[in-house]
Amino acid sequence: MLALRLTRSARPAVQLRRLLVAAASAGTGFLLLGALGHALNHPDTPSVSALRLAWCAAPLAATVYFAVAVARTDPATRPRPGLSALGLGPARMMVLSAATTALACALGSLLALLVFLHLRGDLTGMPVDGAAADFLAAGRPLPLPAALTLLSVVPVTASLAVAAALRPREQRAGASRMARVYGRFGAYRRTPVRETFGAYGRFGSHLGGAARGGRAAGTADRSSRRQGGQEQPAGGTEEAGSPGTGTSPAAPPAAPLAPPSGLPWGTAVLAVGLAVEAYVSRTGGGSGTGGRAGALAGLALTALGLALAGPGLTHLCGRLLQAVRPGALRLLAGRALMTEAVRIGRPLGVVCAVISAAYAMTSLYDTDDPSVAPLTTLGTLLVTGCAVATLLTAAAEARQARALTTDALLRLGAPAGALRRAAAIRSAALVALFAPLTLAVAELSALPLAA
Amino acid sequence: MVAPPDNDVLWARGLQFRHADGSPGLSGVSLGVREGEILAVGGPRGSGKTTLLRCLAGLIPVHGGEVWFNSGPLHTLGPVARERLRRERFGWIDPEPVLVPELNVWENAALPLLLRGTDRRRAKTAALEWLERLDVGDKARKHPGELVHAERQRVCIARALAPAPTVLFADEPTAPLHRADRRHVLRTLTTAARSHGITVVLATADPDIAALADRTVSLLDGRRVRTVHLPPVAETAETEGRAACSLSA
Repeated sequence: MLALRLTRSARPAVQLRRLLVAAASAGTGFLLLGALGHALNHPDTPSVSALRLAWCAAPLAATVYFAVAVARTDPATRPRPGLSALGLGPARMMVLSAATTALACALGSLLALLVFLHLRGDLTGMPVDGAAADFLAAGRPLPLPAALTLLSVVPVTASLAVAAALRPREQRAGASRMARVYGRFGAYRRTPVRETFGAYGRFGSHLGGAARGGRAAGTADRSSRRQGGQEQPAGGTEEAGSPGTGTSPAAPPAAPLAPPSGLPWGTAVLAVGLAVEAYVSRTGGGSGTGGRAGALAGLALTALGLALAGPGLTHLCGRLLQAVRPGALRLLAGRALMTEAVRIGRPLGVVCAVISAAYAMTSLYDTDDPSVAPLTTLGTLLVTGCAVATLLTAAAEARQARALTTDALLRLGAPAGALRRAAAIRSAALVALFAPLTLAVAELSALPLAA
Repeated sequence: MVAPPDNDVLWARGLQFRHADGSPGLSGVSLGVREGEILAVGGPRGSGKTTLLRCLAGLIPVHGGEVWFNSGPLHTLGPVARERLRRERFGWIDPEPVLVPELNVWENAALPLLLRGTDRRRAKTAALEWLERLDVGDKARKHPGELVHAERQRVCIARALAPAPTVLFADEPTAPLHRADRRHVLRTLTTAARSHGITVVLATADPDIAALADRTVSLLDGRRVRTVHLPPVAETAETEGRAACSLSA
């Protein structure tokens, strides 16, 4: 009930995001039902229907990804001091945001069911009754349990993902802003670096970075550990700054100093993907299912590589932006990009991966039967739309996270125009780096597929 | 409209302010700040100290009355002009040290200078000099997240002092600190201000801190008062109230 009340009284932007989640859920639900319809129509070829069902995994993943991003940005379900004092702390808030997500997705699923029944001709009284009666198995009775099971997939998966992403985690304890580690014998220790005798006795190890004049070696190590430790439990979608939504301003979110570690992996996977595609096109010549499966595997690897490399590339972009004797504008733009590398870079990498994969797919599937075309188009639109919407949502989240700093800068007398210009420079730099990269990868992966 | 006296760098008359929800902020505060002095604005929590400082610094537009800075009216300026004035002539210290988390300490301290368009090297020199003076020079290359609260507050003070503002507004700069840190922070702030001739308007609820200032202006419920010592609660009144709430009575 509280979820409903909170849902009702939200700003239009938030409602729009929730409606987009509902729309994505509706699209995915419709694709799932389409697979069911195909299975009903062709009971003799279950493998083809299973393949269609498997293809629904891509829109499903995109929808869930988007739903998690929206839930994380949702101001209604953020831990609030007032509600926390009433006992509605992070744990209940997690349940609340999962419920909100389930609500939006269930709405979408219902819409999908209505449209599906309508297009089959089961529901009448609307202009396009039974327009797609042939490939949605109009003549046969719809097995209701199967349809409901398929429709519940999106809400359940999205809610579980949201709950997992927003599950309450222990905040950093007051004074020590580093991850607490258990030392030997289970004792609490403040030093994350293990002080064995060898580590201490090694020459210059306890002099820190003072001799080098730069950051202390232990500091960099600690920050990279901190970042890694927070990233892993969240399935790689969490960043260092985001648990700071409930922290007091006395403990500012620690800016991650170390670059995200995905860049080498991403590059390697990307290269392997391109190599697989090239190899398949040389040996198979695009003939047979083996060649096509190999090409798809290569494409998937390429996309994965791009998605993995996204944060690292964003960090690199920020670093280049603030490189040589920066003024206030470039400094703010570049450093913000470096800090938000994970938050912005991951959805950005996913967008690039989706775009390049879609580009390559058009060259792979240009001579297909036309009956699949509407569903394929719907799926592609869904995945692309979800990826782009996730990117925009992540940008909104970054903006929310920086609101306090922006306020302080404005109090200092920083011109609002300068801050806007910094944001514009940031976006321009990202476009300048990622657009040619995406195009190049898309061309490279389309080259062997088209041959 | 009367021109203010010449020796006042900042001068306000009959300031009125009402918050957005309609609750009263200031009702007719007049004061003058002389050049180079440290003026403490005292008063308990909720007496309008922060609102007064924000009005004087041009952070919020006043609803009535006049504010003059250096013989120029501030209350008639638009938001852009006030923003430029804040950038060029004023410094501001928050109760909480709000630093830009992705910049390191010296970049944070040099940020106002960089925003003014100062040469990077000169800005860095000034920032490092002030950080050194405030005992955080050895942390200049760290990030704000690695500093403790008092150090961050000192970085904020260095950030406010580095561009050598004409007037420095400090809104309870020591409120969340322990007394040792508090004394240190305040001593550095006042010493720096006196040695560089910076006018300081310091809001504080602590009478010990107000003793460091040249002059104290006391506020109570949005009005300027001579003293904030409230009359002691009458014994009879207290016992009456207690009796009324008591279950045994």
